[in-house]
Amino acid sequence: MSTPPRSGAGSGPLVAAIVIIVTAAIALIALAATGITPQRAWDSFFPLTPVTEQGDRIKELYDIVFYIAVAIFFAVEGAIVWAVFRYRRRPGDDELPPQTHGNNLIEVIWTVIPTVIVAVLFVLSWQTLNQVDTAVAGEQQPQDVRIRANAAQFQWTFDYLDANGETVFTQNVPQGEQGGMVVPVGRSVTVSLRSPDVIHAFYVPQFLFKRDVVPGRENVFEFTVDEPGVYRGQCAELCGTFHAAMVFEVRAIDSAAYDAWLAEQVENASATPPPAPSGGAGEVVEVTAVNIAFTSGELRAPADTPFTIRFVNEDDGVPHNVEVKDAGGASLFQGEIFNGNDQRDYQVPALPAGEYEFLCTVHPNMTGTLIAE
Amino acid sequence: MATTTLHPAAPAYRSRLYEWLTTTDHKKIGILYLINSLLFFFAGGILALVVRVELAVPGLQFMDEAFYNQAFTMHASFMLFLFVIPVLAGFANYVVPLQIGAPDMAFPRINALSFWLLPLGGALMASGFLVEGGAAASGWTEYPPLTDDRFMGTGTDLWIVGLILIGTSSILGGVNFLVTIFKMRAPGMTLFRMPILVWTALVTSVLVIMATPVLTSALIMLFIDRNYGGNFFDPANGGQAILYQNVFWFYSHPAVYIMILIAMGIISEVLPVFSRKPLFGYKAFVYATAGIGALGFSVWAHHMFTTGAVFLPFFSLMTFLIAVPTGVKMFNWIATLWQGKISFTTPLLFAVGFLTMFLIGGINGAFHAAVPVDFALHDTYYVVAHIHYVLFGGSVFGVFAGIYYWFPKMSGRMLNETLGKVQFVLMFIGFNLTFFPMHQLGLSGMPRRIADYASSAGWNELNLAATIGGFLIAASMLPFLWNVLVSLRSGQIAGDDPWEGNTLEWATSSPPPPYNFDHLPEIRSERPLFDLRHGRTHAATTPPGPDRSPQPTH
Repeated sequence: MSTPPRSGAGSGPLVAAIVIIVTAAIALIALAATGITPQRAWDSFFPLTPVTEQGDRIKELYDIVFYIAVAIFFAVEGAIVWAVFRYRRRPGDDELPPQTHGNNLIEVIWTVIPTVIVAVLFVLSWQTLNQVDTAVAGEQQPQDVRIRANAAQFQWTFDYLDANGETVFTQNVPQGEQGGMVVPVGRSVTVSLRSPDVIHAFYVPQFLFKRDVVPGRENVFEFTVDEPGVYRGQCAELCGTFHAAMVFEVRAIDSAAYDAWLAEQVENASATPPPAPSGGAGEVVEVTAVNIAFTSGELRAPADTPFTIRFVNEDDGVPHNVEVKDAGGASLFQGEIFNGNDQRDYQVPALPAGEYEFLCTVHPNMTGTLIAE
Repeated sequence: MATTTLHPAAPAYRSRLYEWLTTTDHKKIGILYLINSLLFFFAGGILALVVRVELAVPGLQFMDEAFYNQAFTMHASFMLFLFVIPVLAGFANYVVPLQIGAPDMAFPRINALSFWLLPLGGALMASGFLVEGGAAASGWTEYPPLTDDRFMGTGTDLWIVGLILIGTSSILGGVNFLVTIFKMRAPGMTLFRMPILVWTALVTSVLVIMATPVLTSALIMLFIDRNYGGNFFDPANGGQAILYQNVFWFYSHPAVYIMILIAMGIISEVLPVFSRKPLFGYKAFVYATAGIGALGFSVWAHHMFTTGAVFLPFFSLMTFLIAVPTGVKMFNWIATLWQGKISFTTPLLFAVGFLTMFLIGGINGAFHAAVPVDFALHDTYYVVAHIHYVLFGGSVFGVFAGIYYWFPKMSGRMLNETLGKVQFVLMFIGFNLTFFPMHQLGLSGMPRRIADYASSAGWNELNLAATIGGFLIAASMLPFLWNVLVSLRSGQIAGDDPWEGNTLEWATSSPPPPYNFDHLPEIRSERPLFDLRHGRTHAATTPPGPDRSPQPTH
């Protein structure tokens, strides 16, 4: 009777040990070389630090699930590895092991224990769900902040609503010092979501939360930020070619500062815009935006004299503009945001010689270099 | 004296190519399934490398966003619909009739049709790359309204029609398997003596027949919406965007089990043979498989927790519950190894790879059953990690265990063990280097399906690691291909039963003759060959079935 082929007598475990040691050594060296500390490695197994009350609840639930998962992982993985190494067939051993077909008691035990674990997890997660997913449209308190986030291919805008649901101010600038979804710390913010085209998703990693923006349906959720700061957000549902461009920021500020900020924005919005300077001044620099990108990555303009940027927006129905920033990221000039297909002449003030960044305020990953010389 | 010949003395000469193109032999069709699936596996793998190369460092270096979206959409479409599902159907095609002692599938010509729909559907899908606007680019889920003709070109129509053909192939195959398993088992092969692989093929076929027509209906509605203004899913005209997701996932969640159950069946053949023990808890395993199949129809909306349009507690509970039968299987496999005498052959290594990696895929899936945690992790790279630990760590490791296990039966020659182990080590390390960091990327907020990310987001090192891992996986395919090519010519001769197998396919020659068996051993348990080897039964002398005379195989 033939015996199954097996690895060369006795060399198998040695080869396996060498492979494991070499792999572990390479992994450790790579980790050390990139400067990753054990603390950072450990933190990477958890979500980012939550900054909302709801996020705190979700993090607590995550921790419970995580530690149970780790315990199960080590117990079961350990059993597999132990069985494989302990019960390997020795060379020349042709005896049959005991032919165990099963054991009803053990089967029942290892069916009941997982059932109990998942039942407990279900109850815990249901409780957390009832704490974090509470928003009902139309049931807001007067002091609550109401914002409608509009997700469209491929930018976010934020309508600030009054108690009647009327828009008092629209934030067109999704991020930066002058932009972002500005919210007060410590007050409940109700967000309704609207899309005119395809499905998007409102996702702020440090909220530990996302909600789809579904055309034809108004989803509502609420949150209370408990930590001032700037938090990165991004569309999380594939929405077309430039999905990755749909980034925004949530800027959480003190409650009084928020009220002052909103009042100022409302006032600015209703003020009559200053008359546009007549006539083009100085040299004309042309730049075009198409497919959520500038056609030229580098512009040249004269230094120390005002000049004109003739900006052509060829993206139908998509808002763009041109903003100029210095090396430190401070905004020096911000052109009017307008929908394509259209064009504007921007009058740019004199810039000292040097390199500047220009970008679209609405799509911060549309960038280029402006050289004043 | 004049004689009358009822059969032509010798069939007209037919070339080998003609023979393979017209065959209705389940073994040849099974091998065609495997070859076709592996070709799409390599094509899908190349597209995966395209994605990984672009994501290795921040910034767009090699392609524009439009092509990137096509690359990941077609990567997933190839891997799911043209590799994982058909490769497992291919194993079932080859092995199921042999394991139940049948001469062929119940409907050999329908079986051939099932296969030939696959390359046709696949070619249609892939031809999207040649048309204006490129291939489908809305992700493999193809959610409307993004699939609308305002946003997507002809490639999406080709994708839809291709997938309808592939689905039809699955449905025909499912019917064929059910009839074969219920009507063509050898004498003595009761349902509870069937090998586990046959059970998993049975449950998979039920899932296919119940779920795949639903997918077909969703795709037809999508096609009508795109081409004839159907408005099923267009909210601007009274349609419902979420409706598509409900219908799609009603298929696609059971489809996850279509993509793994037969791989579990393969593991359940390999582990007992190489630990020289019967599968621990055979009946519990069968019930767990059936339980997964039934529960699999009640969890579809866990893909939609963040839509705000599903009843969360019910789907959360069912999703948690489906972990139980899967856990039972894991314990049964470990108990099978326990106190065994384990030979470290390549099939066993891949099977153990399946156990260790699929465990992670099960555990990280449970995070999503907790709805609030899913709010944080949905549509991030954490989900990408999860699906790959299930379908690569599970199914692909299972597929390679199956290839190394049955290659001797299919070809008559053994694959080289050393090359097999080199492949396993490279693939195991590459797999974990690619997909483990994706957990951490998702936790730190990286959404899936983005072509680019800011270098300030903190995702640089992990993405680079994942890309290096992707190339290690690709490298692991080289020893595999070399192994197959060399072993087909000059591998060690296998003999009928090189592994001391338990099931009937090892009772016939390698490769088996047309119609499989000259005679069958007595079947008194789920391990007829084990019984025969240890003198518990006798080899039968009369072949079963009415007519065993050789027939032309076309």
